[in-house]
Amino acid sequence: MKTVSLTIDGKKIRAREGEKVLWAALDNGIYIPNLCALHDALEPFAACRLCFVEVEGKKQPVTACTEAVEQGMVVNTRGPGALRLARTAFELLVASLPVDCAHCPSSGSCELQKIAAHLSIKLKTKRFRKLLRELPIDYSSPLFIYDPNKCVLCGRCVWICRERLGIGTLGFAHRGFDRLVTTFGSEPISESKCLDCGECVVACPTGALAFKDRQGIKSGLGKGG
Amino acid sequence: MTKEQAEVKQQTKRILNRFGRKRGNLVPILQKVQGKLGYLPREAMLEIAEFLGIPAIDVYSVVTFYNQFRLNPPGKHSIRVCLGTACHMKGGYITLDAWKRRLCIDRGQTTPDREFDLDIVACVGCCVMAPVSVVDDKPQGKVEPTKVDGILLSFKLKKEKQGKESQ
Amino acid sequence: MKTTGLQSVVSTFREIKSRAESQWQELCNSGKPVVMVGAATCGRAAGALGVIRAIKDEVKKHKLDCPVVEVGCMGHCYAEPIVIISKPGYPPICYGHVNKVIAERLIREFILGDDPCLEFVLGALEANELVPSLSDFPRARFEKKIILKNCGHIDPEQIEHYLANGGYTALVKALQMPPEVIINEVGRSGLRGRGGAGFPTGQKWEICRNAPGRPKYVICNGDEGDPGAFMDRAILESDPHSVIEGMIIAGYAIGARYGYIYVRAEYPLAVHRVRIALRQARKLNLLGKNILGSDFSFDIRLFQGSGAFVCGEETALIASLEGEPGIPHHRPPYPATDGLYGKPTLINNVKTLAYIRHIIDNGAEWFASTGTEESKGTAVFALAGKIVNTGLVEVPMGTTLRQVIFDVGSGMQNGKRFKAVQIGGPSGGCLPESALDLPIDFDSLTDAGAMMGSGGMIVLDEDDCMVEIARYFLEFTQRESCGQCTFCRLGTKQMLEVLDEITKGQGRIEDIDMLSRLAEDIKAGSLCGLGKTAPNPVLSTLRHFRDEYEAHIKEGRCPALMCRDLIAYYIIPEKCERSCDACVGSCTTEAISANKKRIKVIDQEKCVKCGTCLSACPPQYNAVVRLSPPSEVPASK
Repeated sequence: MKTVSLTIDGKKIRAREGEKVLWAALDNGIYIPNLCALHDALEPFAACRLCFVEVEGKKQPVTACTEAVEQGMVVNTRGPGALRLARTAFELLVASLPVDCAHCPSSGSCELQKIAAHLSIKLKTKRFRKLLRELPIDYSSPLFIYDPNKCVLCGRCVWICRERLGIGTLGFAHRGFDRLVTTFGSEPISESKCLDCGECVVACPTGALAFKDRQGIKSGLGKGG
Repeated sequence: MTKEQAEVKQQTKRILNRFGRKRGNLVPILQKVQGKLGYLPREAMLEIAEFLGIPAIDVYSVVTFYNQFRLNPPGKHSIRVCLGTACHMKGGYITLDAWKRRLCIDRGQTTPDREFDLDIVACVGCCVMAPVSVVDDKPQGKVEPTKVDGILLSFKLKKEKQGKESQ
Repeated sequence: MKTTGLQSVVSTFREIKSRAESQWQELCNSGKPVVMVGAATCGRAAGALGVIRAIKDEVKKHKLDCPVVEVGCMGHCYAEPIVIISKPGYPPICYGHVNKVIAERLIREFILGDDPCLEFVLGALEANELVPSLSDFPRARFEKKIILKNCGHIDPEQIEHYLANGGYTALVKALQMPPEVIINEVGRSGLRGRGGAGFPTGQKWEICRNAPGRPKYVICNGDEGDPGAFMDRAILESDPHSVIEGMIIAGYAIGARYGYIYVRAEYPLAVHRVRIALRQARKLNLLGKNILGSDFSFDIRLFQGSGAFVCGEETALIASLEGEPGIPHHRPPYPATDGLYGKPTLINNVKTLAYIRHIIDNGAEWFASTGTEESKGTAVFALAGKIVNTGLVEVPMGTTLRQVIFDVGSGMQNGKRFKAVQIGGPSGGCLPESALDLPIDFDSLTDAGAMMGSGGMIVLDEDDCMVEIARYFLEFTQRESCGQCTFCRLGTKQMLEVLDEITKGQGRIEDIDMLSRLAEDIKAGSLCGLGKTAPNPVLSTLRHFRDEYEAHIKEGRCPALMCRDLIAYYIIPEKCERSCDACVGSCTTEAISANKKRIKVIDQEKCVKCGTCLSACPPQYNAVVRLSPPSEVPASK
């Protein structure tokens, strides 16, 4: 396997030729915020727009998930331009989510909390208007709850369900602001062909998909919490 | 399965016979099926998914992504209000309001008597006739609120005439 | 290609062409009068089909031997429906604003009688003694028609008309050239992609030719989704073979076997005519297996888009061809190397492809002799909005905006004052009066904060609110966003929310800063071209019309009297005529009534601000006005 050497945040590292900067950084203990990235996916989704980094010689920040490593490359994950874009993207995301960590089963393991800390941003941002979608929560699965309001549309659950497991219960529907992860005909999970394997719940970076037993919320209680 | 569902399945199958089982045929298939049935019922989508060997959610993704596809039966007459730039600046949004007011429905809806469905269209390229409404696939120019009333009146008269003739 | 094959190509084509020419001659020079009616979508919306019926009925009634031909769009859309009558002894005469009554008169009085009905004449197509010709119009000095030349003068449903007017000669010529030479020719011509971004066409072809992987594809991007743009529609409806010929040549040059024409579903007539054109081309073996007996095979399929603006973006277009939602992919890789089904794919705009035959026929130097240093050839614009001569124009690159709007377009409607021109649709921007002397080319427009886009040009006057137009475009991109990436899905939504508030008078002054900062981030951070350009309408209006934003925010006033929440309709009692009831009858919500003195008064609660009363009030009274802010309306006594 051919490797190249590059520098990320002053740290000299080696990475497989053709590898994307994001994975090279993460493998070497350098965190770059990300939500939609999946190492095994054939192509990067490049949808969440959080992994911006600055590369020496490039005028504009680039997304680390799409940028391949190159010999002698110098990457800065904390440049002002990159951070500005990542922060705006993140604030846009949380401005459209119901932020209520105290009542959320995923609090503590939620990647949004981790990213907020990394970017030094409060989850309750004041910069943008609060834009909530107020979609119904699906309690129908015996195993987990699906709250689309907390979904950041990273697509991890969709990819796992479809590409890795070959089930194809979940997918994206609609577009623009109305885009959401759902089942065929937007039916309740229990009426879909879901096998209740729970892999999607494990993959979810936020509280959108959460196991029922871990937090003991009974069906029908607590909306948007 | 109800009789109607079986009928939808049959009709979908007949259309599918003319296509290869290639994913690239999905959009043309949906167009043909909607052209026949007026919308895309659940059974039709399931049939198409099975034919192409893809998860049903994939068909649903495509159907809900594109403006052209509908999940509900259309009205007898379709009203599409053009909201291209020229139409908008010449009061297309006022025309849309007039349609909404007269038909008592919002865009994307069908009147309870299934006579009319109302929606917007991004631009039909007849900018010089702005504001345009496309009534039953025919673009009509300079449709202002008074012309909305005129068009509806002519439908009403036509219907009354047909009613009399059939008596 | 082998010489024997080539000889047969040339001789086969000669036969086809001579048959077509004799058909054309029979139509044009057989001593019969010929009536042509512009029946593109614009003509039809103005009533062209009724005119055709009236003409045919009248012809039948008088038992005349007079062919009636449906042609495409001449570009003079303001005068639709348009009828051209060629009668022996007269120059071909073009009539505008024809209705059924006029149509019948033309047949009776001109064809049957000998009165050319000069009162309805728009102009003659040739110089003559009798009527002024269209080429004497001031606009003709600025126009140069290359790809619009056939439009409105041939029947798009008859391949013979196209063949008789020089069609497919470029293809035959190209088949005798090595592909590299064709690409070189296109490259040297300086042609840049007319889809908006202006990438050099020759370079794109070369990349695609050299890319490994087979089969290769050629895609014609006819997903003209920009609201306010209708150039591609007009060309596909009026001269579809010019695009098909360009595609076949492109296919030969890059080594492709298959092509797709992607046309939006909102253009049913274009779809219909392209379908006919493909069938006819196939029948004459100009398309299909071993074209004209050569060893080159190429076929084209028609694909109808299903209503998604984002599919104009090439990677989204490919996704939809593959049966997926039209969601763009990160570039690179570019489609030229990694496109449809992962194969090298050449995607060109309708207009780009329509230029190809002219470049091959006349040579690179000929094409490059028109235009500016960096942008060669002509630019096609769809003029719409508050301009006198709405329609299609083709002018050399480098023509100024002022020339296009005031000389070609004859300036503003109703003597109103020019305020701005919106160029490039949702990706473009609004340019003010001070930018009017800008020579039009790809780079100058981008520098000024607009964009060539695909060529929609909407002229705005003093009654058009710049905040509202920015809001309109954001609403559009928001509605058409695929929703995949954060900036476009949520960023444009935030911008729209703020603009909504401003147009309702609920904006805050700090919103202006927030808008422009967010706009910059969306431009830099979005995944695809739709998102990257979505903020342009806001940025350009903020740059040139900031005072209008401030008037909305600080004074709750819409200077253009357009934003409905910030205006009120009012009838000036002193001007209202007691005996006139025009407004009362016109009101769609019964909001107007007469008071004791028979002066009409608007019930502001019931008024929906549709403006019908303003148009209904007779000009001699002019009593209805709009006031902003609504508090300007005097309290009723």
